[in-house]
Amino acid sequence: MPRSADSAIPRRPLRLIGGAAVALAIALLVGTLFWSILSAASAQTSSGPTTDIGYLIYITTLQASLSTVLSLVVGIALAWALNRLRFPGRTLVIGLFASAIVTPGIVVAFGLIAVWGRSGWLGGLGVPIFGLGGVVAAHIILDAAFAGRILLARLDAIPEARLKTGQSFALSPLNRFAVIDWPAIRGTLPGLASIIFLLAFTSFPIVLLLGGGPAVQTLEVAIYAAARLDFDLVTAVTLALIQIGICSAVIVAGAALAPVSTSLDRPVTPRWQDAGAARALQWLVLGLALCGFAAPLLAVLIDGLAGLGDVLGDRAFWSAALTSVTVGAASALLALMLGLLVAAARAATTSRIARTAIGAPAYAYLAVPAVALALGAFLFVRNLGIVPDAIAPAIVVIANALLSLPFVMAAIAPPFDAIARSRGRLIRSLGLGGTRQFAQIEWPLIARDVGLVLALSFCFSLGDLGVIALFDTQDFVTLPLLMVRALGAYRTNDAATIAALMLVLTIAAFIALPALFERLSRARA
Amino acid sequence: MLRPAILAFAAFLALGHPAAAQDKPNLTVYTYDSFTAEWGPGPALKAGFEASCACTLTYVAAEDGISAFRRVQLEGPTTKADLVVGLDNFIAGDARASGLFAPHGLDLSGLNLPQPWTEADFVPFDYGYFAFVYNKETVPTPPTSFEELIALPESFKIVVMDPRSSTPGLGLVVWIRQAYGDRAPEIWAGLKPHILTMSRGWSEGYGLFLKGEADMVVSYTTSPAFHALTENDTRYAAATFSEGHIAQIEVSGILKSSPNQDLARQFLTYMISAEGQKAIPQTNWMFPVIDLGADLPEAFGAPPAKALPVDEAAVTANRNAWIEEALAAIR
Amino acid sequence: MLALDHVTFGYGAAPSYDFTLEALAGEVTAIRGASGSGKSTLLDLVAGFLQPASGTIRIDGDIVNDVPPEQRPVSILFQSETLFEHLTASRNVALGLPHPDAGRVAAALAELGLGDLAGQRAATLSGGQKQRVALARTLLRDKPVLLLDEPFSALDDETRATTRSIVQALTRKQKWATILVTHHADDIGAIADRVYRLESGRLAL
Repeated sequence: MPRSADSAIPRRPLRLIGGAAVALAIALLVGTLFWSILSAASAQTSSGPTTDIGYLIYITTLQASLSTVLSLVVGIALAWALNRLRFPGRTLVIGLFASAIVTPGIVVAFGLIAVWGRSGWLGGLGVPIFGLGGVVAAHIILDAAFAGRILLARLDAIPEARLKTGQSFALSPLNRFAVIDWPAIRGTLPGLASIIFLLAFTSFPIVLLLGGGPAVQTLEVAIYAAARLDFDLVTAVTLALIQIGICSAVIVAGAALAPVSTSLDRPVTPRWQDAGAARALQWLVLGLALCGFAAPLLAVLIDGLAGLGDVLGDRAFWSAALTSVTVGAASALLALMLGLLVAAARAATTSRIARTAIGAPAYAYLAVPAVALALGAFLFVRNLGIVPDAIAPAIVVIANALLSLPFVMAAIAPPFDAIARSRGRLIRSLGLGGTRQFAQIEWPLIARDVGLVLALSFCFSLGDLGVIALFDTQDFVTLPLLMVRALGAYRTNDAATIAALMLVLTIAAFIALPALFERLSRARA
Repeated sequence: MLRPAILAFAAFLALGHPAAAQDKPNLTVYTYDSFTAEWGPGPALKAGFEASCACTLTYVAAEDGISAFRRVQLEGPTTKADLVVGLDNFIAGDARASGLFAPHGLDLSGLNLPQPWTEADFVPFDYGYFAFVYNKETVPTPPTSFEELIALPESFKIVVMDPRSSTPGLGLVVWIRQAYGDRAPEIWAGLKPHILTMSRGWSEGYGLFLKGEADMVVSYTTSPAFHALTENDTRYAAATFSEGHIAQIEVSGILKSSPNQDLARQFLTYMISAEGQKAIPQTNWMFPVIDLGADLPEAFGAPPAKALPVDEAAVTANRNAWIEEALAAIR
Repeated sequence: MLALDHVTFGYGAAPSYDFTLEALAGEVTAIRGASGSGKSTLLDLVAGFLQPASGTIRIDGDIVNDVPPEQRPVSILFQSETLFEHLTASRNVALGLPHPDAGRVAAALAELGLGDLAGQRAATLSGGQKQRVALARTLLRDKPVLLLDEPFSALDDETRATTRSIVQALTRKQKWATILVTHHADDIGAIADRVYRLESGRLAL
């Protein structure tokens, strides 16, 4: 039946304006940062990059592509297993997996070494963890568990009726996946793939620690060298733009792919378990995942026990913890607000171009190299005539919020889209305004995801070191900074303990916040 | 959108932190992060200096010495910094060429350094020799030269640092260059199978070594002193190489733009005084630049018998080419 | 009163649909036709989701062709996707009112025999229960024109009869012009005051 798509969703000009304003502000911000660097560089003569840029682009792209594909495959397997299996401690396991992505990369890398390194628990197996394989493995640990967590939410949201129908047809485990699971997760994959690719492409500390030498490195190392060692800002900006170009292509491709459809229903406990070989496979996947993902994190926790007394008795730790938690909470709230604005705007239009224009900048920030970001922000703030140190907390909050925006989008944009697409005509026929649509329909649906979103951005901010480095002052010390300081002063025990405590805080946030919002949304619905 | 938020936040912060210096002059020092950490030399130097100067000393810390200098370069003449503490003989050429630093005017003839000091702009405050550090229990007979190291089985692993992001990383490039000249790429190619990984910074690389992942790590001859004095752990030692070792000399410089030239000079004088120097060895784990006698713990050992001079001008001119040839040899 | 005067719709030169219809206030006007005959298109045109190529749609004498769906004095009950599955029955019904009024919501649910289900999430309701919840909300909106697209299809015979009479009684009492799209002869026989047949894109009495 002919039906114009536009009449099927409510007209929400304010939402479009809000989302467009956020998108524009981010684009302007990124532009301003680069302009700040370039204008500072105007007096310089550039000698051009000395490194083999072509090789760096090749190896970074290869590494990021491998990391993305493998992370998604492992993530799907993990979500599949967790969706079917019920066991004591399941919530804890999910929280542990989900927290992997926000764990500082260097912590995960050390965890990996503690398990698989030649002196590690399983060192005898001789698994090579340095080189391309190690880098990709570390990225899978970080990203596959996250992908699994997001995809699990989609699987858990499959309506009971559909499951019952499937069960009555006695679908084989394979058919069940193809007919019921795959359609539920398919829409989420492009967005996830973009995020994972960007994370892997811009992953700096992990690649440098596990890369095994200059054969496996990232473009970011060349940018870093240009900015820091050669002070060749023109080259730094050129390289940064190459990185942004490649990443943008991925972002736009991901944003333009098939629209995401989500069920409006809320999870039920499925009583339909796969039988036989499939079930054994699920336990195997879970077991392997626990070894692969949880063991390195566990190693970090155990490593951290040694210095516990020293660190907990240290005033500097508590002050850094307070700073980190404050910054994390502020970033999380800001990220949520920005995410809501962008997601609501994106769902308010059916034009593919408009959706991309509004949605893509939310991811753009992830593509900007941390060095360029820190440098640009520093110069920008100075150009405004503000003392950089005084503004450091605000910059860090904004930067962390923008950094976690893609994750916020991945979690809350699909429900917004689902409501607009499947119930747009209903909302129009009821004459509901945007405020009521949000407060009485959308918020109750996303409320349970809001906990996850807040946990994600809180922890991201908690573990982030990238932005803070250039703004470092005596009074503004966060936990990761304290950890790096300890590591830089031979205090490996203290560093291990701080890493472990950050991990504990992260896991706690991942278990507590979603549970809290789940309860709140139950109470309100 | 951003700007009003930033301004509002800045105003809030300004209220929260009333200007620290009322009447006392303020001396702002840009330095690196581990210098200012509570276990670094920063706090003791600040307390000691403030006790006599009737001033306030403020540290602004960057990731490392080079970053602190780059920050001053970015800020240009309007920088708040009076001093930069933590440059070294590898970046001093760049720093001098920037024209931002003023002559210190101090008499440094009494200093005890690996090589004679004629530098007009920069004042050394500590130094250390690059060396491979190993665990005596797991490596009973360490190699005594690069060529011996190369000849070991491939399972003998070392951790090096990226010369583009780490000072010891750059140190190794210069060290091999000074020791072998044009044969440097050959040495690097020989090291390649032994290189477990090239970490971004010294801390990560040293961490890998401490975890037992590698047999040796690029560090300083003074590193074992830390383990001996702080952890009572005497298993670690620095391998002496017959080619000789090069030194990293950490220096400070006064900025031309500083309105507090005299005060800045006073601080540099304090840093190389006996009292100031005592605060450095067991916080920065480097050698002092004056003879501290019994105040330098024995665990620091003696400087290597053979020290290779660092040709600062050659480093400045050829740094990138040397880095390139090293990276190319092990790619 | 709802009046359609040669309301056409379709692509290309010859319009596929050409509707002329009068539905009086206080009466149930039934539309019957085979599947795919264009019943939903007719409702979408009246509700404002589709723009006619020509012709006029009048409600109580006013031409509403250019009035967007939100502002048309129309309440519509869709055939599917009628509820927000994640909300309770009573919150779904409350969305029909411009301002919260727990009393009216409870009364509407009670009238349709759903009083016990008020606190249940829509997703857990049966097909017939969902249909009645959606109907309760649509009736509560109390607009001059009421559009019902197969509103009783999922109901059992007994509930069907009761629900039909509620719709008929309210139509009379509130003076709605009710359009009932159905292919059930029972429904038409029970409550329709006049019947149009939809064939080949045209309406005939």
